[in-house]
Amino acid sequence: MSFSTQSVSDDTLVVHVGETLDFRNADTFKETVHPPIDAGKHQFILDFSDTDVLDSSGLGAIFSLYRRVAAHDGTVVFANTSEPVRVVVELTRTYKVFPQYDSVEAAQAELT
Amino acid sequence: MDERLILVVEDDATLRELLSYRLETHCTVVTAVDGVDALEKIEARRPDLIVSDVMMPRMDGFTLLDELQKQKDTRAIPFIFLTARTDEDARLTGMRLGVDDFITKPFDMKQLVSRTKRLLERVEVFSNRLDTQLGHDFSQRLMPTTLPKVSSYELFVRYEPSQQGGGDLLDWHQLDDGRYFVAIGDVMGKGLQAKFYAYSFLSYVRASLRARLTDTPRPADMMAHINTLLLSDQVLTDTFASFLLLVWNPDAHTITFANAGHCRPLLVDADAAHLVTDSDLILGLTDEATFEQHTLELEPNTAFVAYTDGLLEQPTADGDTLGEDGIRRLAQNAFSAHLPADALWEAALDASPASTYNDDTLIFWLTRTADPSTAFTHVSAPTDAEA
Repeated sequence: MSFSTQSVSDDTLVVHVGETLDFRNADTFKETVHPPIDAGKHQFILDFSDTDVLDSSGLGAIFSLYRRVAAHDGTVVFANTSEPVRVVVELTRTYKVFPQYDSVEAAQAELT
Repeated sequence: MDERLILVVEDDATLRELLSYRLETHCTVVTAVDGVDALEKIEARRPDLIVSDVMMPRMDGFTLLDELQKQKDTRAIPFIFLTARTDEDARLTGMRLGVDDFITKPFDMKQLVSRTKRLLERVEVFSNRLDTQLGHDFSQRLMPTTLPKVSSYELFVRYEPSQQGGGDLLDWHQLDDGRYFVAIGDVMGKGLQAKFYAYSFLSYVRASLRARLTDTPRPADMMAHINTLLLSDQVLTDTFASFLLLVWNPDAHTITFANAGHCRPLLVDADAAHLVTDSDLILGLTDEATFEQHTLELEPNTAFVAYTDGLLEQPTADGDTLGEDGIRRLAQNAFSAHLPADALWEAALDASPASTYNDDTLIFWLTRTADPSTAFTHVSAPTDAEA
């Protein structure tokens, strides 16, 4: 299970999370998002429009992304937050860290 | 799923192709033309099994096996020799060097395939068993075996580590003034790594607590300490944990707690189950996080119930997960049970189409009774490695 990404500006990358982000593909997620950080991407928009499953390992992979971009004053924002994702974010109180947007475009507008 | 990798070492090109072709049906195969080539291939990617000819140019099979035996990380790779039927000397030399099996030439392909399969399976079973044993050892150290017996209180714990393993932990400590400090946590991740981190973590919390025993431990301050540790410690990079820390005062019937992204506990009585909603950010994410503590009073015939996300995330028959509403409902039903933590645990599993939990599960159930002569505790946890 790989992740499609889309560079929308010099420092912004959109990651389409897909249907599942859990213990099975959390490492693949990390391998996908970590190299672009070194290449100068420090704003990440995670698109959850298709996401049905987000477990604690998946959330851990997102946290790990956040820790890395925070070191460069970057941000991680969520777009199209689906219900299962909203529940996890609510439980861990992480909406305090990850701003939520209704669409990738809305997130993009806010980041530029 | 990652495929098993077999390395075929054979100087005869036809035989090499044939072996590769037949073994590819159940494995990934790489080939090498002699021992020197094999060592390079092993260096590039460690195979799970080696099938090697004996007589080859540059470096023969014996020398190859001998080289592998010298290195710690290649010593354990299962090794099969292809030998001529008549070559007793080769067999003896191979055995002395520690070969795992022989296949005699001309060989039966079916036999070769079934033997490689069997050897790979054996390695896998052994390594799984080792993981399970280690996971079990850690799990045992992450949970207390006894609970405090206190007048007016019943305390129940149900703990079940899962096969894949999570990082659930529970610890309690009696303070000098008769109060109790209780830590309930979940270190994120699955498998042995999570267990290992949970264990190092619990050691830190215990040590921190001991260092502060002369003072009054404040759950909110302790939370800030653990957060700082996670953010500054190099080894713990990428470790995140939810924690519920509480000071329980059985004389005043109060619980003072701080919640860092942990599953929200419940207050349950005969009529209702309420969520205790005050909570802060999960630990290890940012140094800007702040933590607050809150005090609640326990009325007679009321229970304080904490649990971990293994329970919350368990799938239900309708394809959803149990969630907070599900837990509230089941906890309410379990309130009158003789062993309520067990009743809740079993009811949540009954509501699921799965026959086991996907993750560690932990339930901490503290009931204040109306009768001061009550002092009862019960822990349900697996005690046997085979359980």
